[in-house]
Amino acid sequence: MKCHVPGANVKVLGRTVHALARFGDELYLESLADCILLRTLNAAESAYAMVKFNKNFFSYFNYNYYSTDDNEGLKCKISMKSALNTFKSPTHMDKQVENLEIKLDAEACKLIFQLKCKHGIVKTHYVSILDSKAMQAVYTKDSVPNRITSPQRILSEALSNFQQSDDQVTLEATEQSLVLRNYVDLNIEFTKVIRSQITLKPAEFDSYTIGEETTITFTLKEFKALLGFAEALNLPLQLHFETTGRPAVFIVHNGSTFEAHFVLATSKPDSATQATSTQNTTKAERSKRKDKSVQDSVRKKPHLETDTSKCLDEDSHLFNFIDIPEDENIPTENGNDTKLNNVRNTIDDINCVDITNNSQAMDCDNIPPSPTSKKIIKSIFKRCFESTFDPRAIQGVVLVENSDSE
Amino acid sequence: MDSGKTLCSLLKAIQFQECAVFCALPEGLKLTVDEGKCVQASAYIPSDNFTEYHVRDDVDVIFKISIAVLSECLNIFGSAEESSLKMYYRNEGSPLLLVLQPQSVHNVMTDCEISTQTADSVLELRDEDAAEVAKLVLKAPAFLGLLADLERSCDIIEIHLSPEHPNVSIVTYGMQDRSCIDVPKSSDMVQSFSCEEPVTLKYQLHHIRLIMKALALSTKVVLRCSANGLLLLQLKLEKEDQRQMFSEFYIVPLLDD
Repeated sequence: MKCHVPGANVKVLGRTVHALARFGDELYLESLADCILLRTLNAAESAYAMVKFNKNFFSYFNYNYYSTDDNEGLKCKISMKSALNTFKSPTHMDKQVENLEIKLDAEACKLIFQLKCKHGIVKTHYVSILDSKAMQAVYTKDSVPNRITSPQRILSEALSNFQQSDDQVTLEATEQSLVLRNYVDLNIEFTKVIRSQITLKPAEFDSYTIGEETTITFTLKEFKALLGFAEALNLPLQLHFETTGRPAVFIVHNGSTFEAHFVLATSKPDSATQATSTQNTTKAERSKRKDKSVQDSVRKKPHLETDTSKCLDEDSHLFNFIDIPEDENIPTENGNDTKLNNVRNTIDDINCVDITNNSQAMDCDNIPPSPTSKKIIKSIFKRCFESTFDPRAIQGVVLVENSDSE
Repeated sequence: MDSGKTLCSLLKAIQFQECAVFCALPEGLKLTVDEGKCVQASAYIPSDNFTEYHVRDDVDVIFKISIAVLSECLNIFGSAEESSLKMYYRNEGSPLLLVLQPQSVHNVMTDCEISTQTADSVLELRDEDAAEVAKLVLKAPAFLGLLADLERSCDIIEIHLSPEHPNVSIVTYGMQDRSCIDVPKSSDMVQSFSCEEPVTLKYQLHHIRLIMKALALSTKVVLRCSANGLLLLQLKLEKEDQRQMFSEFYIVPLLDD
């Protein structure tokens, strides 16, 4: 494979690599007879991106430069870090770079990126090939009921109202409006989070077709990355989505030279909107949700562990300090794995119920302290919570004298 | 001196150590810091930058001073404010006196006293016997751009200089990858190039990075390599009033193992 990218397009390529870098850690590169495909998949396998560069994107294109016997193009995997290193600052790349040559050094197993810059400077990056496999995700974008074409600015402006700490966004699509809200994990206390919600009218979009009203939740990090990409290239964004659990496809293309597909897994919305969401569990949905839940279980483990134990505590209505051994949690967690989202919502529901239970329980004096008491306090005043603690035992003993004579 | 601003930014550029050796010579002021005896940086302010400049030439005016405190005092009216500066130093052991007066406000004045320490001897990295093997003059902004593009994760930088094409090539080794930047002497950013024999030099990238702050202020950079591998970078900073200030970096090479 050998190709030349003219200066103006190097910027596009750089932007692409930077957007893909926010998805995954590895970059799959495949050259076909008439195009080059760049793909990546995030570690949790919940987000996938594919960018296709057509032959006319390049000033010179030869997918089979070394004229080997097998008529196959190049398929390889490189580390995203090396790719990023090649396209370090895409913003002013077009001013500096005159030409980029990408070629394969078959003998050394290196992919060579040679940037010819202004001032006669030549930057050559020899990037190691990690693997020679291609990767492909299966998704549908054409036969979906919901399609929105959005100008690049609107969605990112809407998202700029959200907090930095928000990691998921819920999109509620109805025929009258599109509601974006940050996804709030019900395990977190409501008093500590900011809930944002933005309603966009269909008139704001270039086209707006909702065949099936639905609510989907997906990760914000990747969504922001792809919005940034669309904005940098000044191209509109097409949203194709079905319903909860089915992947949402975001498309950015300029019609002739390249086309980018970003696929995000969607999960169930929070329980506040649960009533409106439909629950059809097709096979595909289940597999996709599994991906999602794998990610969730990785990211939300700390929450999950405390919450499961809390849930178990409270569910039994014993209100005793029984330390649930770690081992007991693990099977529960594994069992939950595939239908984690459902379980999490149930946990949330239980928590909601039990918070009220607790307040009732507080009224009766004979019940030991509520298990929801903060861990940190428990450890600071640990002795007070011990069953053997007798306040009379320390009476009259001055441990520390008053600091002030008054 | 009319404005302490440039002086302050120059000080900040070499501020990678707590204390600097302040040396007032009849030709100008020189502040020197070194790191681990591997990198030595100096800021040199020729006396013509000052409206008035008196240094006793019968004794060495040399002392150690906290560079952070000094730059903070120079910036006492905020970075946006141009303020005129007077500096006084009596004799060994006495503090350095600074009188700063902002230009936009009248009748406001700050009097700073910075205590000084007795200076240790300044490390002399230059070896008079080692001949200069290569010298090149580059435009500082372009050179900064090259350095900024180098991969952060690698620690060794290799500089190849040769009379043949490509005259300058900078190689860095990443985790699995190798990156190479070639600059021919015909390039716009190279203003002069002299090198008789091909040489290869290795440095800690971390050391090279230390010059980047100073490079951002400068207009021109002179690289001199001596036969023992010692790299000397001389950076020229041009002020609006056509006066010049300089910074100098000596960087010790890595030896082949």
